[in-house]
Amino acid sequence: MPLQSRPQPKVVIVNSDNTAAYVNAAQAMTNELIYSGLSAKDIQQLGVSEWSKQMVQVQQTRIYVALGTTATAALAAAKVTAPVVAALIPRSSFERVLRDSARKPSSQLTAIYLDQPLLRQLALIRLALPHARQVSVLWGPDSSRSAPLLRSLVSANGLTLQEAGLESNFNVFQDLQQVLNESDVFLALADPVVFNSNSIQNILLTTFRANVPVVAFSPAYVRAGALLALYATPEQVGKQAAMLVQDVLHGQALPGRPLESSDFEVSVNEHVARAMNLTLDAKVLRLELRAMEQK
Amino acid sequence: MRVLDIRSRMLLAALLPLVLISTLLAVMSLLERFGGMQDAYDQRNRSVVRQIALASEYGLFSANQAQLQALTNGAMQEADVRLAVVLDGQGSILASTGDQSGATIHPLRSVETQGFDAQQRVDWLTQPVFASSIPIDDLFEKNNAIEDGAHNQLGQVMVVFSRQSVDARQLEMLLMGALIGLLSLAFGVALAVYLSRGVLHPIARITSLIERIGRGEYVGIEVRHQQDVAHDPLHELQGHIYHMADRLAAARDDLEQQVMMATQALRVKKEEAEMANLAKSRFLAAASHDLRQPTHALGLFVSRLSQLPHDAQTGELIVNLEASVRAMQNLLDGLLDISRLEARAVQVNKRPFALSVLFDQLVQDLSPAFQEKGLRLRIRPTSLWVLSDATLIYRILLNLVGNALRYTERGGVLVAARGGLSSGQVLLQVWDTGIGIAPEYQQTVFTEFFQVANSARDRTKGLGLGLSIVQRTAQLLAHPLNLVSTLGRGTQLSLMLPSACPSIVPVTSVLSTTVSTEDLRNHCVLVIEDDALVRVAMVGLLESWGLQVFQAESYSSACMHLKQGAIPDVIVSDYRLQEGPNGIETIQRLRTLLDQDVPACLMSGDTAPKLIAEAQALGLTLLHKPVRPAKLRSLLRRLLQGQWGTGEDLS
Repeated sequence: MPLQSRPQPKVVIVNSDNTAAYVNAAQAMTNELIYSGLSAKDIQQLGVSEWSKQMVQVQQTRIYVALGTTATAALAAAKVTAPVVAALIPRSSFERVLRDSARKPSSQLTAIYLDQPLLRQLALIRLALPHARQVSVLWGPDSSRSAPLLRSLVSANGLTLQEAGLESNFNVFQDLQQVLNESDVFLALADPVVFNSNSIQNILLTTFRANVPVVAFSPAYVRAGALLALYATPEQVGKQAAMLVQDVLHGQALPGRPLESSDFEVSVNEHVARAMNLTLDAKVLRLELRAMEQK
Repeated sequence: MRVLDIRSRMLLAALLPLVLISTLLAVMSLLERFGGMQDAYDQRNRSVVRQIALASEYGLFSANQAQLQALTNGAMQEADVRLAVVLDGQGSILASTGDQSGATIHPLRSVETQGFDAQQRVDWLTQPVFASSIPIDDLFEKNNAIEDGAHNQLGQVMVVFSRQSVDARQLEMLLMGALIGLLSLAFGVALAVYLSRGVLHPIARITSLIERIGRGEYVGIEVRHQQDVAHDPLHELQGHIYHMADRLAAARDDLEQQVMMATQALRVKKEEAEMANLAKSRFLAAASHDLRQPTHALGLFVSRLSQLPHDAQTGELIVNLEASVRAMQNLLDGLLDISRLEARAVQVNKRPFALSVLFDQLVQDLSPAFQEKGLRLRIRPTSLWVLSDATLIYRILLNLVGNALRYTERGGVLVAARGGLSSGQVLLQVWDTGIGIAPEYQQTVFTEFFQVANSARDRTKGLGLGLSIVQRTAQLLAHPLNLVSTLGRGTQLSLMLPSACPSIVPVTSVLSTTVSTEDLRNHCVLVIEDDALVRVAMVGLLESWGLQVFQAESYSSACMHLKQGAIPDVIVSDYRLQEGPNGIETIQRLRTLLDQDVPACLMSGDTAPKLIAEAQALGLTLLHKPVRPAKLRSLLRRLLQGQWGTGEDLS
């Protein structure tokens, strides 16, 4: 193929998967970039496998956007010259990628974390459940890294923490029972060992029986019975990534440290709220939360 | 194989398919129902286990033994459940209800399992319990180890079901099926019997009809014809049978008529034959009567003549004359014998007697004839006694030996009696060395007037009545007569007689003919005879015997003698008298006149059986003409000695 006919994208978006979340995020990012004046020819979207096959470094490429853990791991390992922004990736996953590729977060490789910042979550708890004092947490191997931060944040916010640690071999129910005793709210922190599609039903059932509201990290949990969820949508992540891309295209360097998601969404399960005699409005909560953060 | 009657066959034909089909249907439906029941049972068991598994998910997750126990207790409420067990993720029992003894707790498996314990008739099912899965965002979730379900198994539910109730229901269905089968079979039998009756009754009726026709009852069948129902299945057949019966009856009537006509014709023929026979008998009787009178007189004259002194030449003539008369008298005697035997007028008087007496008499009577012909008469002496009528046996012997003499030219005749037979009888035999009888004539020799080799009817050879008389007499006495003969070699005739014990009763008098004339002298005899010639001859003969004779031609002239003072010692009367009453009446009237039973004898040329019977009834001795002088003398002597009145019939 002659060099002239080869596409010369400035922005390459590598998708870990072609599920709706990734596609939506990529689409939102592309739309945002085109809207800011970038030509569609300068943006290339492709999957991890396609990218791995191609592997040809293009001089004109100014930035890579890796969506998801797999894409991030592939780009981190490929040692591309252009900077890489990872998005739609949980903090724990990005840290694992860094460990595996023996790199450190830098302006060459940074990320926008999928996890919501703990402070924001505590703020939401205080906003939605102002009477809640006892916060319970079930740590998993991944999430337990955030334990020290949470402990300090909880006490700073005038709350107390009921926590239980989990190893790989565990009995979820007993620990759960333990932390739910005397707890006012259960904060679910993403960890695949603790929270997965198989366990979530019974965990939610247990909390519901214990009359302890759950604040989760994904709208799916609200649909499954959690009272509240705080999360960033793929579109929001895509927009945030597009802004970083624009900065790079304008000659700025990427921030040296990973970023928290700037925008977020709140979901409420009305049924559960009613069952718990609570009146919550997701939009109001989001706006109040945003207002609090912008003060 | 036993032959089945029509009813059994019909029932078999009707019921066998019914039984086969109903059995087949019953078996098929039962099998299907059993399969359905088993399926339903399996399905229900499976759903019970699944339901418990589903319900026990949270209990297992929360290790809530109380809740699980409540679940297993609840499971026991389900039908057929024997045991319900819930195992946790490590395979230890969290809750169980029911009888655990003898039940195997199956280890944890990640798939559904089931089995059947044939010994205890129980089914066991296990169902793994997994945490139910909810699809959530995959952005946070990349723990592949958790994706594989093994770790998610919360536990296992095992339930043991008893097949008892299924078995019981199957048995119940089987029994019900059998009952229904039997009931339908019974119904089928009843129906078949009922329907077959409709066919069998007409058949039975037709059978009885044919039986009646077979017995020849045609009458009354028409009547039944009217009564029969028109929609009878065998109506047509029956109609044909009636038709057949009609035809048979007609044929039988026709046949009967023909037979009747034939019988009529035969009767006419028989009557004609009887008439002819009667005519013959009448002719015979008339002819012999007419012959007898002159022959009788001739005999008497010749007898009288021979007593007169003559020169040698005349004497020789008289001897020849006497022989001729004797031959003529013999011929007439033969005819008379046959006539009397035919009339069954001979009375049998069986007594034991010694055969030697007869043999002696035979020698005395026949020796001269044998000597004349130059033949030898051998009589084997015997001491045997037999039980029979001596007179008739002697007549048989006379005939047989006379016959033998007649047909023998050389050699001789042997008369012998053999006793000691196994039957205890005596065989009386007469052998000759004569011409013999050809086999084709051995039956016909016994018929009247048949003579072998005498087509010329030589009178010296007799009339051919001898063997006929012998046979008839033997039949009368019931003695078997047997003839063995070889043509040209000789003939042997034997008579089988019953033997008897020797007795001392003298019977010789029966045959005694040697009477001296002395006994008759000075007695008075009344002769009643209408024929002057015969009367003269009789008177001459009687007077030559020294008797004083009164002669009369009728009853009236006899009465004249009595009135003149004559008192006869004996009356000799002819039967047929031209004037006045006949001989029997005359004798009766004379006896009345004399007021005493004067000895009397009747003479007649008439051989009519009626007369013979009449004389016998009155106890009068009947002498048939021609009467031989010797016989008359013997009779007179006996009458005068008082030995009369036995109704003897002497010839």
